Amino acid sequence: MELRPRAAARRAIAVGGIVGAATIYLSMVGLVGAFARRPLVAGVGGDGPGVITLGLVMLAAVPFIAGMNVASRIRFGAVAGSGLLSIGSAALSGLVGGLLLGAFIIVADAIPLNQIFIAVTSALVGVLAFGQGPLIGALIVTAVGAVAGAVGGSIQMLDSRDRRAILSGIGIVMLLALLEPILDPILDRIELDDVRDFVFSAGGLSQAAAALTLALVIGLSWAWGRPAAPLRDRMRAVPAEQRRVIGFALAAIGVAALLILPQISTGFVSLVLVNVGFYLMLALGLNIVVGYAGLLDLGYVAFYAVGAYTMAILISPSSSIGGPFEAAVGPEWAFWLAIPFVMLVTALVGVLIGAPVLRLRGDYLAIVTLGFGEIARILFGSDALRNWVGGPNGVVGLPNLHIPGFGEMSGPGDYFYPVVAFAAFAAFVAWRLSNSRTGRAWNALREDESVAEATGVNTTNYKLLAFALGGTLGGLSGALFAVQLRTVFPGSFLLIVSITVLAIIILGGMGTIRGVIVGALILVGLPDALREFGQYRFLVYGAALVAMMVLRPEGLFPSRIRRAELHEDVDADSRPQPAASGQATT
Amino acid sequence: MLRRPRRLTLLGVVLWALRVGIVAGVVVGAWATLTSGGLSGGTWITLLAAGLSQGAIYALIALGYTLVYGVLLMINFAHGEVFMLGSFSGMFVANALLSADGFMVSYPLVGLLGVFAAAMLTSMLVALVLERVAYRPLRRAPRLVPLITAIGASLFLQYTAFGMFGSRTRRYPPVELLSGRVEIFGFSFQRIEVITIVAAVVLMALLFYFVERTRTGRAMRAVSEDKDVAALMGINVDRTIVITFAIGGLLAGAAGVLYAFLFNRVDFGMGILPGIKAFTAAVLGGIGSITGAVVGGVLIGILENVGPSLLLFGLGVPSPNQLRDVVAFSVLVLVLIFRPTGLFGRKENV
Repeated sequence: MELRPRAAARRAIAVGGIVGAATIYLSMVGLVGAFARRPLVAGVGGDGPGVITLGLVMLAAVPFIAGMNVASRIRFGAVAGSGLLSIGSAALSGLVGGLLLGAFIIVADAIPLNQIFIAVTSALVGVLAFGQGPLIGALIVTAVGAVAGAVGGSIQMLDSRDRRAILSGIGIVMLLALLEPILDPILDRIELDDVRDFVFSAGGLSQAAAALTLALVIGLSWAWGRPAAPLRDRMRAVPAEQRRVIGFALAAIGVAALLILPQISTGFVSLVLVNVGFYLMLALGLNIVVGYAGLLDLGYVAFYAVGAYTMAILISPSSSIGGPFEAAVGPEWAFWLAIPFVMLVTALVGVLIGAPVLRLRGDYLAIVTLGFGEIARILFGSDALRNWVGGPNGVVGLPNLHIPGFGEMSGPGDYFYPVVAFAAFAAFVAWRLSNSRTGRAWNALREDESVAEATGVNTTNYKLLAFALGGTLGGLSGALFAVQLRTVFPGSFLLIVSITVLAIIILGGMGTIRGVIVGALILVGLPDALREFGQYRFLVYGAALVAMMVLRPEGLFPSRIRRAELHEDVDADSRPQPAASGQATT
Repeated sequence: MLRRPRRLTLLGVVLWALRVGIVAGVVVGAWATLTSGGLSGGTWITLLAAGLSQGAIYALIALGYTLVYGVLLMINFAHGEVFMLGSFSGMFVANALLSADGFMVSYPLVGLLGVFAAAMLTSMLVALVLERVAYRPLRRAPRLVPLITAIGASLFLQYTAFGMFGSRTRRYPPVELLSGRVEIFGFSFQRIEVITIVAAVVLMALLFYFVERTRTGRAMRAVSEDKDVAALMGINVDRTIVITFAIGGLLAGAAGVLYAFLFNRVDFGMGILPGIKAFTAAVLGGIGSITGAVVGGVLIGILENVGPSLLLFGLGVPSPNQLRDVVAFSVLVLVLIFRPTGLFGRKENV
């Protein structure tokens, strides 16, 4: 957009207002305070000055990104020095944002807001003001904002090859630093002590390692990145035969890395990944219901609960069924014989929930299923069913999982391999379904129910099948969860579980397995690994759901069909008109 | 001419069995309770009063759902959080007024008005920001997209409150005007219950006047009838939608203060359950219908207070009041399954 200087300045100031509001919000909600305790790049000599914390990076990222945005939106045409003017606009927006945050610092220092906003403490003011007084701090913050905006703007003005190189350099350094709690123990475990001492220091990257990584990634990325040739296009240029081999090799490397991981890392990593596995299975199941068949289910946690409780009742010696059952089949086999029952029960529950709501569409279906989920949770926790499912106390004392030939799983982290196996099974089922006749029937159902019915799809049966299969996968996850935790409480099956699973498949891209895996890793794995997140993960889920729907409704890794659907208007415009081209040739 | 009998499907049979089962359960449960004589008349009156006052609050929130659904055909799932934030804001003002030389004690009426004003304005502001940031860009998107956005917004607002105000349950200061009991027709009621009902009725009367008698109200009705035609008639649709959200927010803020006085608690998760129940009320009354929202709210309030005792007590179910939320959710599920248009709803909305 070409703008005259005054209009451009007005725009930049408006963006600056958003920058200020966003940074003040992040401070007031407590994220800055929580993240300021996490060093990313250590200071001089480890704990010395110059520590770059996660909080600082988060705050600086706001004017940085805004600067990129401003520089790309505000152009001055073919005037001499127009690039500088764009960068100037970017700096202006950062400056305005910094001024607002500076004003906030002064206000927060003068008026005790702590009674209302618990995060606005003198400690927060100290963090924001870089340990200086409020006035000097405000000046520093303003300067930092302006510089971050200008840097963002300048990077935006580079050509795409340079820009991509620099951004991936920064991104990978940040990622390495973020993953310190996982990577550090791994290096320790495989006894690369020299490397460890060089790379990590005081809970973050050492300055030397950060600089080295940055230079390395930028260099490599620059040397590799021909302008305007994304990886996907280059992959397409490779012959199909070779492409399959490459794909297979990559998958094999991924699987091998995954299988080796618990051997070289700590129990903490295994535990995080086990949790990711539970959510991955849930997401694969919900993906069948929502992504394939287009039935938005907000009470999906009910299947998780039913699976967990069925397993618990069947194998816990303290329940009236579990004792005799275990005595009859022996402790090694109890879990494995209970699995088919769990699948049967959850499939049945899927049909039972699905049958009455068949006629409902869209948002009404979502609300009814939400109602079912809440009813299930309250019933499991109530005194009315205490004799069967233990009421508020839940079912306790589940035996450990035995795997014939491998022995007994003793710690929660031991469940890594079983969970991987089950998740792989779920992914296999989902993958085979998506390319089958059934999957195509679901697609038709999702696109247009009336048309699907008219073309001979039995909508009733396919909807029930989606509920049953989705429920079965969710139930399996629940069964495994129960055994891993060895207890089942009603408190584990809150509405938030359903929403988390929904967020996973929305973020990854509805309908694709690849997207679901990435979504589970980002939304469950990352917050689990980063303890600083705590409860803020739900804030991020909420923001992610809104942002994805507004900016990129097809998800990060959309299926081809899905992307076409959601961008109908764009495609229709860019596609050559067949009638017009036909006339041109004749 | 004879109507051809409809084909008997398995599904139809299941649904009919469900209907019969529910009616039988309700009759048997109620009969068992009433003949057992375990609960006195006074208990029923108490439960009914509690139901009416909670129902009035649900009705206020439900109006927000129903108004928005009327103009946008979307479920504003984050409306419960609009209510929650209003309640918080009112509490901070109330506490500030109390500590400011006991203003709340010496001028309780003025103070209460201030509390209500703060809560209503905050809720209105949140609703407007929500509309602008989360919903307006999606006006033309497929129907599920705004619903998912609304769920995300709901989560975001909840944990914003968690981050800003903490997880601690907070309380409004005690106000003498609202505590104690009153005698009406020989029965003793909590004063706050009576005041809640009166306040809700006043607000609803104002809303009726606004929607039925003013130009803006007429514009709202026109937009909910048909957006495109309304635009052709010279109505500013965007502005009307903004006003609708604003009114929904104002009512939710008032409900937030009343709810917090009634239950004496304010916390970041307080919006979820009243939100879902108010939505149930809107659906029960027929979503899009203002009368329906009011009737539905009162019905839900009464059902969830009287229902567990009436239906389950006689059957010997232990602690039936644990299951009061189940009653509300069951009503939601059953209404949507058997009569999705609700009591006063129009057919085409489903």
